[in-house]
Amino acid sequence: MIEAAARPGIRARGPRAESHPLALVRRLDWLLLATAVALVAYGLWVVAGITRFDIPGEPDYYLVRQAIAAGIGLVALIAATLVPIDLARRHWRALYGTALALMFLVFLVAETIRGSKRWIDLGFIQFQPSELGKVLFVLALAGFLVERAGRVTRWRTLLYAVGLGAAPILLVFLQPDLGTALVYAAALFSLLFFVGVRWRQLLTLIVVAVLVILSVLWFLPAAGVEVLKPYQTDRLTGLVDRDRDPSGLTWNVNQSITAVGAGGLTGRGPTEASQTRRDFLPEHATDFAFASLAEQRGFVGSSILLLLYLLVIWRGLRVITVAGDLYGAVVAGGLVFALVFQVFVNVGMTMGVAPVTGIPLPFVTVGGSSMVANLLMIGVLQGIHVRGAPARRSFP
Amino acid sequence: MSDGGYNERRSPSERFLPPDPRVREPYRLTPALALRVGVLGGVALLVFAVLFLRLWSLQVLSGDEYLNAAQNNQLRLVRVEAPRGPIVDRHGRAIVSNVAGTAVRLWIGDMPREGRHELVQRLAEVLKVPARALAREVDEGREDPLTPITVKTSVGEEQVNYLYEHQAEFPGVEIAQIYLRNYEYNTLAAHILGHVGEISPEELKRLRREGYRAGDRIGKAGIEAAFDTYLRGDDGRAQIRVDSLGNQVSDLELRREARAGYALRLTLDIRLQRAAEDALRYGIDLAHQNDNWAANGGSIVALDPRDGAVLAMASAPTYKPSIYVGRVDPKKLQPLLDEEVARRANSPGLNRALAGLYPPGSTWKPVTALAGMQEHVFSAYESLQCSPVAYYGLDRQRFQNWNPYVDRPMRLDEALAESCDTYFYEIGDRFYQRGKEGRTRMQQWARRFGFGAATGLDIGGEEEGLLPTPDWRWKTFESDWDRAWNPGDSIQLSIGQKDLLVTPLQMASFYAMLANGGDVVTPYVVSGVEQPGAKGSPRVVLRRFASPPRRDSGVDSGALSAVRDGLYLATHSASGTSSGVFANYAVPISGKTGTAEKVVPLPGYPSDHLEDQSWWCGWGPSEDAKIVVCAMIENGGHGSTAAAPAALRVFERFFGEKAPSTVLRATD
Repeated sequence: MIEAAARPGIRARGPRAESHPLALVRRLDWLLLATAVALVAYGLWVVAGITRFDIPGEPDYYLVRQAIAAGIGLVALIAATLVPIDLARRHWRALYGTALALMFLVFLVAETIRGSKRWIDLGFIQFQPSELGKVLFVLALAGFLVERAGRVTRWRTLLYAVGLGAAPILLVFLQPDLGTALVYAAALFSLLFFVGVRWRQLLTLIVVAVLVILSVLWFLPAAGVEVLKPYQTDRLTGLVDRDRDPSGLTWNVNQSITAVGAGGLTGRGPTEASQTRRDFLPEHATDFAFASLAEQRGFVGSSILLLLYLLVIWRGLRVITVAGDLYGAVVAGGLVFALVFQVFVNVGMTMGVAPVTGIPLPFVTVGGSSMVANLLMIGVLQGIHVRGAPARRSFP
Repeated sequence: MSDGGYNERRSPSERFLPPDPRVREPYRLTPALALRVGVLGGVALLVFAVLFLRLWSLQVLSGDEYLNAAQNNQLRLVRVEAPRGPIVDRHGRAIVSNVAGTAVRLWIGDMPREGRHELVQRLAEVLKVPARALAREVDEGREDPLTPITVKTSVGEEQVNYLYEHQAEFPGVEIAQIYLRNYEYNTLAAHILGHVGEISPEELKRLRREGYRAGDRIGKAGIEAAFDTYLRGDDGRAQIRVDSLGNQVSDLELRREARAGYALRLTLDIRLQRAAEDALRYGIDLAHQNDNWAANGGSIVALDPRDGAVLAMASAPTYKPSIYVGRVDPKKLQPLLDEEVARRANSPGLNRALAGLYPPGSTWKPVTALAGMQEHVFSAYESLQCSPVAYYGLDRQRFQNWNPYVDRPMRLDEALAESCDTYFYEIGDRFYQRGKEGRTRMQQWARRFGFGAATGLDIGGEEEGLLPTPDWRWKTFESDWDRAWNPGDSIQLSIGQKDLLVTPLQMASFYAMLANGGDVVTPYVVSGVEQPGAKGSPRVVLRRFASPPRRDSGVDSGALSAVRDGLYLATHSASGTSSGVFANYAVPISGKTGTAEKVVPLPGYPSDHLEDQSWWCGWGPSEDAKIVVCAMIENGGHGSTAAAPAALRVFERFFGEKAPSTVLRATD
């Protein structure tokens, strides 16, 4: 450490930098924190609108639960900020093991809801491990990659990394939760991207991934091998020819588009929003929450949400650049891209520009695990930020 | 280098920063990484640009179009109501079934903004419902335009046809097929069956987790409420296409089939139930003939003493459960819901068998006898004086016998047969003389026999009754005078008077214990859940409810048989209190009369006016009991002149054996 400390303009990083919590508070990314708080508050307001008539006589049923989850998430955020991120780098194996164990646990004890095993019933709440697993996955895989940072351009290391990532992805896929599996895959890709895998290699990976997807959707079924459940294939290919069957398979998407469009500039309000209230919109509190928001609050209300996401993404990108070490940068990169991907797929799905897969809309969708995991993600970004180099405010 | 490995781990990739093995390089942002951050930023911007453009095009550019699509020519999801499960008696005869009905609903959201009131007016005229009430409902529903108002549930064919023909004139009016509860036997077993109504906000709050939804119909009382989860099916869903006026323009397209509710099989025998209700009316008529003009209610309970199965349970006055079906007429429901009106109509909604509280009078004497023998207060072979009057306590308080013409020593069987009060006064006083602890002994045995607590009937709604104890007096009353447990308390308790209160069902279950040889049974009325098969095919039994296990009361068999002998003599010896009714009946019956004084405020009388409650409880055949009957006529006078002959009618139906003419003699 002596050489490093001697270099001017570069702070030594070590136990001393972590010592004072107050020092951390001063170096928080306040704009990121404010945006996260605004997102949570806006999300709660949206939930209040879209679930108002779900339970007659109790308009605040989901709102209260969501607010409690936000409270728990806030604790997770603070904890993630305070705990040194280096701990995660050193113990990535334990994190990876935990993530895998959670996925297996789902198979053992989860209740089957609507045909898939995603939730573990803890009695008072239902816990969806794949949401928390997302953050663990990024932290663990980044740890593996950074440990071999000098060798990631070798195909061997690259394939090892892909194999390591494939295990949890496969487990989530088998729940079956195709959407979240895709988010995991996107995060893995982003980790490889930021750890410094060559463009050529990344391109090869993309080509292989596309080939796999094509074969799963079309080639293999044509040959008589069914990998996906029929409903998954239908929903994914439904994007391609949506008008094929307006009242059948793509009914959901058409209803969703109608809901979004009907919102107009300023929205119809919770009482008049018939697509949501009459249950034309499937899963309007979860997967199709954005469509419900768009119907009730219009272009203005939806744009506010999208702009808030953009703010988070901008601050997230900035965290990558100020990160104190490669691990921080890679983790931040993985988390930010996962967020971009998740928002695009979810919002795009409601408007017919992305395939229909059931993934939650961050900070909005009714579901405690998702809320906690997203706030935990903000906490991890904050943790990287406070331990980063404040001097390096712009690109060198 | 000693920490070469660590150094290598820390260093960035070779592409970004070629590592120099001799120098520990601190991490720093490389241009390559910065480029990649820029790329991700670009991707994010691109993605959001796509989302914004799409949002703009959908909401702003073609928003009106989609709004139109959302408002008009829409698919509407409708619930396909699942038929509620039928309720059948022990032989499978349907007591409650469903009939298809036509309902007219009003969707406020689909009504034109102008001229709503004329529309409501016209609709009310066609359907013959009060226009003002309907208009008020429409006004209240304006806040919530997407929940339909049920205007009428059993609409005649003529009206339905009119509405179909003039569909265009009635925007927002929907005609739907629904199921209505049909009570095959009118008022029969009304109290046990209970009724069905729309779920209330409180119930919804409580039951939401079990899948109940607003607008669901739910059991409100009796079996309909206690077994609602079995009786209700799962609603199906269907979609229809409606035009901008809310008129249906496509056929119903099922998206999920409705599952009908399960059938419940009861332990009731519908013919015995009818006999019991007829007998109850007969008993009341008899009371009227004996100048007990205030007799206006009562209850008969028939149990199988072997397992507690309820064979019949009647309560009078009663009501038609059908008044809850369809759009209810508030006036007809008033006697059931409005307290004041109910009191004037003598509470027809009250199931007296399990929630009516009365002093048991002499039907209690077997309890006193059993407790006295168990506690060795007296013996069955001891002779005690039966006299017209007895005096107890320091102030020589006077206690009368109902029969002033008797003055001789008696043993237990005789005392029970003739229902000698002074005999039991003596036992009561002996309990009192045993001091603080002894004064609670009889009550402890009574508790073992099931008094002072709900019997555990599976449909619930039971009253616990009141078993007075010195402790209870102390806690309940304020003044020292009232708080004291005096000899009179023990003495009156021994003949089932003063503060003691029981339900007819508790009495029946106690007599079942006497009849079956000492085991306490838990009454039950639902014996199983069945899947209603297709028409004609037999039902599939899904679940049998085992009869609740018998509990040994701990009564000595000698004591029990002494009491049983006494109750046989009571119906057969020359001086037995109900021998005139049962002595000549082909099947040997054992049982006890009771004439209990209860404070009944009647118009024109002082507020502490006493009326006799007429009781008879017993079983048959005496030695191999198959049925226990307990009859109680409110304000019916003597037990032997109203309740006993009513109970005989139930035995007649059960054994299929008519009784020769009876002699009604006023006894205790």
